[in-house]
Amino acid sequence: MEALVLAPVNWLEERSGIVGAISYFLFRKVPRGTNWFHTLGSATLTAFIVQLVTGVVLAMYYVPDPDRAWDSINWITNELTLGWLVRGTHRWGASVFIILLFLHMGRVFLFGAYKYPRELNWLIGVAILLLAMLEGFTGYLLPWDQTAYWATVVGININATAPIAGPFIADFLRGGTEIGADTLSRFYAMHMLLVPGALIGLITLHLYLVIRLGVTPPPWGEDAEPDEPSPNGRPRGAREGLVDPKPRGNGGPAITTRSGVEE
Amino acid sequence: MAKLDNRERYARYKEDVEKRGKPFYPYAMFHDTVMSLVVVSVITALAAIWYFTSGEEPGDAGLLGPRYTEEADPGTTSFVPRPDWYFFFLFYLLRIFKWPESVILGTVGIPTILLILLFALPFIDRRRERRLVRRPVAVVAALLVIASMGILTWEGATAEEPSATAGSVLCEANDLDCEGNEELALGADVFAEAGCLSCHVYAGEGAQNIGAPELTTVGDLGRGEEYWVEWVRNPQAIRPGSPMPGFPNLTEEQLQAVAVFLEASTGGG
Repeated sequence: MEALVLAPVNWLEERSGIVGAISYFLFRKVPRGTNWFHTLGSATLTAFIVQLVTGVVLAMYYVPDPDRAWDSINWITNELTLGWLVRGTHRWGASVFIILLFLHMGRVFLFGAYKYPRELNWLIGVAILLLAMLEGFTGYLLPWDQTAYWATVVGININATAPIAGPFIADFLRGGTEIGADTLSRFYAMHMLLVPGALIGLITLHLYLVIRLGVTPPPWGEDAEPDEPSPNGRPRGAREGLVDPKPRGNGGPAITTRSGVEE
Repeated sequence: MAKLDNRERYARYKEDVEKRGKPFYPYAMFHDTVMSLVVVSVITALAAIWYFTSGEEPGDAGLLGPRYTEEADPGTTSFVPRPDWYFFFLFYLLRIFKWPESVILGTVGIPTILLILLFALPFIDRRRERRLVRRPVAVVAALLVIASMGILTWEGATAEEPSATAGSVLCEANDLDCEGNEELALGADVFAEAGCLSCHVYAGEGAQNIGAPELTTVGDLGRGEEYWVEWVRNPQAIRPGSPMPGFPNLTEEQLQAVAVFLEASTGGG
């Protein structure tokens, strides 16, 4: 019986290594101090997945055409069974996603989690934030109501004030000199193909680096890894018996270097 | 040396986590799952509140705003643009700077500088120290950023929308004799009601810095009335790529009156 379950698992593992990867992910060690603050990243990921799922459903009913876009949004909201829920979730999920991104970024900043060796992951995170705001900007036009239209007019005009590249960016976004059918299909393509694709790639990279580099413990308590040697001259963790306070004959480089600095 | 120190500390962290850490499953995963459920519930609750307190009519707002506003109409001129809330800080930044000398600071300058600082953060702050009490600069900077973003967002959210200004107010503010000139008075009214002030500033009235030039002394350009009639009707015919919307719905009489009004606007003359 056991073999019956294990056989396909082993088959898969032998050919892909995926089972080992998943069990590594699940049973890897995280610092003891890992707490509720550390859930903001996965909460942000959850909000993103909500956007993906509801976005796919909306794409099945939404028509990216200036003559029909508003009607299709109206129909999704008022007629389609549970359409209000899907659209409402997508609409408010976007705000929650952005809020969680900012909270997560604030947590990373206060925990000093952008420091060596996690600098690259900070850069990826900032790129994710920018792309998320681009999602917000492109998605805002799609309902094709007055709010959407005029906010986009101003948004594109702001882009146009940038030196040199500005007018070109504005023309590219509009797909011409006016906001019309070309603008709508352009924003639609960016909103549901280009930017989400880039986001999925960057988020995957972000998670890979989190797993590879490990979780940063909170910046309090003994895990804060102080810059200066502890005042009593003992290596950090000596009290807990984790690190041998006496330099050992074959002592690891950590301890010998440290006592050398202190004396 | 600094690099070696970093590596050494990181190796110690790895060793420490391996020895004393707890497995991700079930401990951290429990927290993550609870938090994710909270997130999904909050989003669903927002959607429900938004839907059940609003009505089917465009603009029929409930606790969380309307389901949609009227269908987009490039011909309307009085709609006041409003972005989604997380762009409010940018939106308000634009009002602080004056067109045209410094508006680029608000649209491009400050956002670009902030972006560069954000990207460069791990390369600016290279110390290993993570305890908050030992990072006063970082903590103060974070508080300042949070406070200024909060204030800008709040100001952007509550910013007064340019209210409808009567034509006579404009005439008075710019020293124009509209009472003695019927066409001038009509031009001022059309100018005020057609929504020019949604983008332009005129004698201190109107939307600051959406990106359109101030028109208080536009008559000094000496373009002539015929030019203004054509320009207001369809700016793209004169300058392709101009961001200004055309006003093809105005009558010839209205266009002519606006042209007279613009030509007469010479700033106290």
